[in-house]
Amino acid sequence: MKTFEEKWTAWLDGQLSGRELIEFESSLPDLAAAETEKRDAHKLSAFLKKELAFQTLTNEEFFSHQIRDRITRESETRSRGGLRSTWWTVPRLVWSGATALALFVICAVAIIRDHQPGQQSEYLTQILNSRVDPGVNPHATISIFESKNDNKVTVLWTEGLQTLPADYAAK
Amino acid sequence: MQREATPAQADVSELDLVKRCQAGDSEAFDQLVTRYRTRVFAMIYNMVHNEQDAWDLAQDSFVKAWKSIRRFRGKSSFYTWIYRIVMNVTIDWLRKRQIKAGGAEFDDAIQLKEIEPASRTVPKADPLPHQRLERTEIRARIDQAIAQLSPEHRAVILMKEIEEMQYHEIAESLGCSIGTVMSRLFYARKKLQNSLKDVYENV
Repeated sequence: MKTFEEKWTAWLDGQLSGRELIEFESSLPDLAAAETEKRDAHKLSAFLKKELAFQTLTNEEFFSHQIRDRITRESETRSRGGLRSTWWTVPRLVWSGATALALFVICAVAIIRDHQPGQQSEYLTQILNSRVDPGVNPHATISIFESKNDNKVTVLWTEGLQTLPADYAAK
Repeated sequence: MQREATPAQADVSELDLVKRCQAGDSEAFDQLVTRYRTRVFAMIYNMVHNEQDAWDLAQDSFVKAWKSIRRFRGKSSFYTWIYRIVMNVTIDWLRKRQIKAGGAEFDDAIQLKEIEPASRTVPKADPLPHQRLERTEIRARIDQAIAQLSPEHRAVILMKEIEEMQYHEIAESLGCSIGTVMSRLFYARKKLQNSLKDVYENV
């Protein structure tokens, strides 16, 4: 279904015919006014054609020369860019792969080392070597529990201590 | 003015040139440029009203056409295909300039010194000074009236009235429907009739 604007444009340009033309013209409220506007539009069309149609391009050969020049330059740039990209792609892939692998190995080694069981700490050695003075703490017992899984947790269980022996103080 | 409407009617040598271009022959493309440069330049000039801008946009359009010529499948004529590129480049440029200007209405603020229309119309003989002045004024009025149209309306009115293209060719060049082309023509004509009535009635 054509809109009024489409029908009007087709009518102005002589593109309506047969039943479509009759129907459109009979639908116009004032055919005489529409005909006047049609003539007006044709005048505008002729006027625009007369005034605008003869725009010329000065320096035509220079215009073409510039285009040739741009095309040549861009083709050269593209081919250089193409060569560079093929030269870069393979080494870049190899180098980035090797670098990533090396980084992975370094990180893995560092993490594995961190997970190895640590040596007995300085403070635990002091505690184990210390003696509880039976005169001062007759009923004192000290028990040390170590976690078997990761050797990271040491539980010091003290019972009956009246004073903490000076040797236990961490230095 | 008859134009190639379908590939079957298209000029064989032009299709041959296109095929050579697609094979990378820049000399063939040079021949296509020679065929269309004046029309393309005139079309753009009538839309942007500045010779230098029209020159640059026409160059950009041809370079773009060269870059994408391999994608031309011959479903439409080469003429409508290159016009599509020309219209995309020009309408984009007009829109960007409108945004830079702060979204002003489509008045290009034309200056008479930029137009120099009399030197580019082709009279049979050199016009007298008063005739030249008159033409300059007329051209300025036309350019001002066109500058108030949106880029799409400018495109349809120029393609229809100056290039005498068919609705379907305009639609292909602008990538829209025939109905849209007709509707745009309706409004563009109305607007120009209002702006230029006193001029074309008295010429």
